[in-house]
Amino acid sequence: MKTPERLRIAVQKSGRLNQGSMDFLVSCGLAFAPNGHSLILPCQNFDLDVLYLRDDDIPEYVSRGVADFGIVGQNVLAEKEFKPKILKKFDFGKCRLMIAAPADSVIKTPKDLEGERIATSYPKLLIDYLKKEKLEAAIIPISGSVEITPDLNLADAICDIVQTGTTLKAHDLVPLFTILESQAVLIESPINKQFKEKFLLKCGIN
Amino acid sequence: MPEQMAKRDYVLEKIKTVFTKFGYDAIETPAIEYAETILGKYGEEVSKLVYRFKDNGDRDICLRYDQTVPFARVVAANYKTLPMPFKRYQIGRVWRADRPAKGRYREFYQCDIDIIGTQSLVAEAEIAKVMAEVFTTLGFSKFKIKFNSRRLINSILNDLKIPAENQAGMIRILDKMDKLSPAEIKQELKSLASDSEASKLLELVCVEDSSNDRLSLFQKYNTTEIQEFLKIAKGFGIPDEALVFDPSLARGLDYYTGVIFEVYIPEVDIGAVCAGGRYDDLCSLFCPEKFSGVGVAFGFDRIIVAMEQLKLLDEISLNSQALVAYFNAATLPDSLKILGDIQTAGLAAEIYFEPAKIAKQLKYADKKSIPFVVMCGPDEKERGEATIKMMKTGKQKTIPQDQIINYFKGYSSL
Repeated sequence: MKTPERLRIAVQKSGRLNQGSMDFLVSCGLAFAPNGHSLILPCQNFDLDVLYLRDDDIPEYVSRGVADFGIVGQNVLAEKEFKPKILKKFDFGKCRLMIAAPADSVIKTPKDLEGERIATSYPKLLIDYLKKEKLEAAIIPISGSVEITPDLNLADAICDIVQTGTTLKAHDLVPLFTILESQAVLIESPINKQFKEKFLLKCGIN
Repeated sequence: MPEQMAKRDYVLEKIKTVFTKFGYDAIETPAIEYAETILGKYGEEVSKLVYRFKDNGDRDICLRYDQTVPFARVVAANYKTLPMPFKRYQIGRVWRADRPAKGRYREFYQCDIDIIGTQSLVAEAEIAKVMAEVFTTLGFSKFKIKFNSRRLINSILNDLKIPAENQAGMIRILDKMDKLSPAEIKQELKSLASDSEASKLLELVCVEDSSNDRLSLFQKYNTTEIQEFLKIAKGFGIPDEALVFDPSLARGLDYYTGVIFEVYIPEVDIGAVCAGGRYDDLCSLFCPEKFSGVGVAFGFDRIIVAMEQLKLLDEISLNSQALVAYFNAATLPDSLKILGDIQTAGLAAEIYFEPAKIAKQLKYADKKSIPFVVMCGPDEKERGEATIKMMKTGKQKTIPQDQIINYFKGYSSL
């Protein structure tokens, strides 16, 4: 199936960016057969395969040129310290990386974070933020369900993605301040391939 | 004293890390050598600076002047069993009976790297790369690796028809270029060459242009070695601005034969902080085999002075990062468990030795600039907790004892 001319685009397998990403590709006139469980989805009318990946793996694939393009959140790019060429910013996947704390917490301002335990899936971005604010705190790295950690006395605050704020509310957490604003972007691999132009033309970019 | 040693250890550790990263292994040689091993290897003027004395058994001995000559002796005695080419690092004291001045000491540390048993210029370029990496790692941003070639100097002196027996002497005079004015150098050169020869030589080597422009002025001489070296150095990724071709660079020691180096920190007036070069025949004084080698010595004490002047060592504190307080006999087992946990998290930590008043224990931590004091008094023990006091802000944080490891592991400033 793999021919050298075939391009690959990495897309989030499931989650908040998946639908928007596929809608964009379809809106460019690309057609896909209904997908079963395959993680590689060939395009029917263009030399392109869609790779379904976990979103935090997308920077790795694109940076190595295994995928020529990717659709990913800016928060993931920033956490992985990957700075590829951004071809397009999308209207979907908008979110903010925020510090939140229980409603009855003494933590109200950035300064209150000093010495506290902060659970997060974004340790790099959090450490950069603390450094910038000249603060020190204990970072508790957690891969998911960060919201439950204050209730379990594992953390005093969390640093997590906030879209609508309903998950925070459900755990009695109050969003306090923003570390990073993010949205979905189309990125291009720094590894050159001569057939990339065709895809860009198809998507109406350049 | 501990504060100074903490800084020196920090620097030494960084230098060692770079050496080992490039595959250098450590060796040591004795501080004392037989006089015959040391003398006659460096040139007349330098030999006067060797500490030489008779021991109780009337043996004629010397304190080592550098680590290169003792290294050559060791290689000569062991070359049959050593992997060749052989590369090693060596960190130790050397002694020079010099008049002490700023950056000049009678006893000081040298950190040497040498590669022996290859004539390949890849060795010179690797040494240059290690120098660049050491000074970058230590936080210097403007260091200059000056280099030249003894072959080029000899080729110029031959062209000027300077007799071979006078060339070593002239090179030693050229080496004083940064200490004496051109007029004084010329005066000294006159003892070995004519007035016009001395003028021509000085005119050639004292050019003020940038590295590459300088090189083009020497087309008529043999510059292939330098060109080739620069090409390989580029491959190693040494920044262009760090490498400076300096045709006036001579190095005073007799044993150099090829590319020579000196590293300077432009903001600090302390002389070369690292120097060395290619020596082709050093081991032949000790054994029938001939080994070509290249190596440099880092002037550890000068590097420390330069780093202090540039405030690169201000953040270095003593070893201890956390003090566990001692409340009473009943809480001691918990405190010792906490101590172990802090150490497991990767911090250097200690326990206070007596159940003294907490104020006294905090004072001790303050005096040693220890950033954290961890306390487990009777109340904390009861609840399975511990209180961490951040000495910088005075803020206290109480957490379950079983979270101590994760707390410090994830601490953002560690």
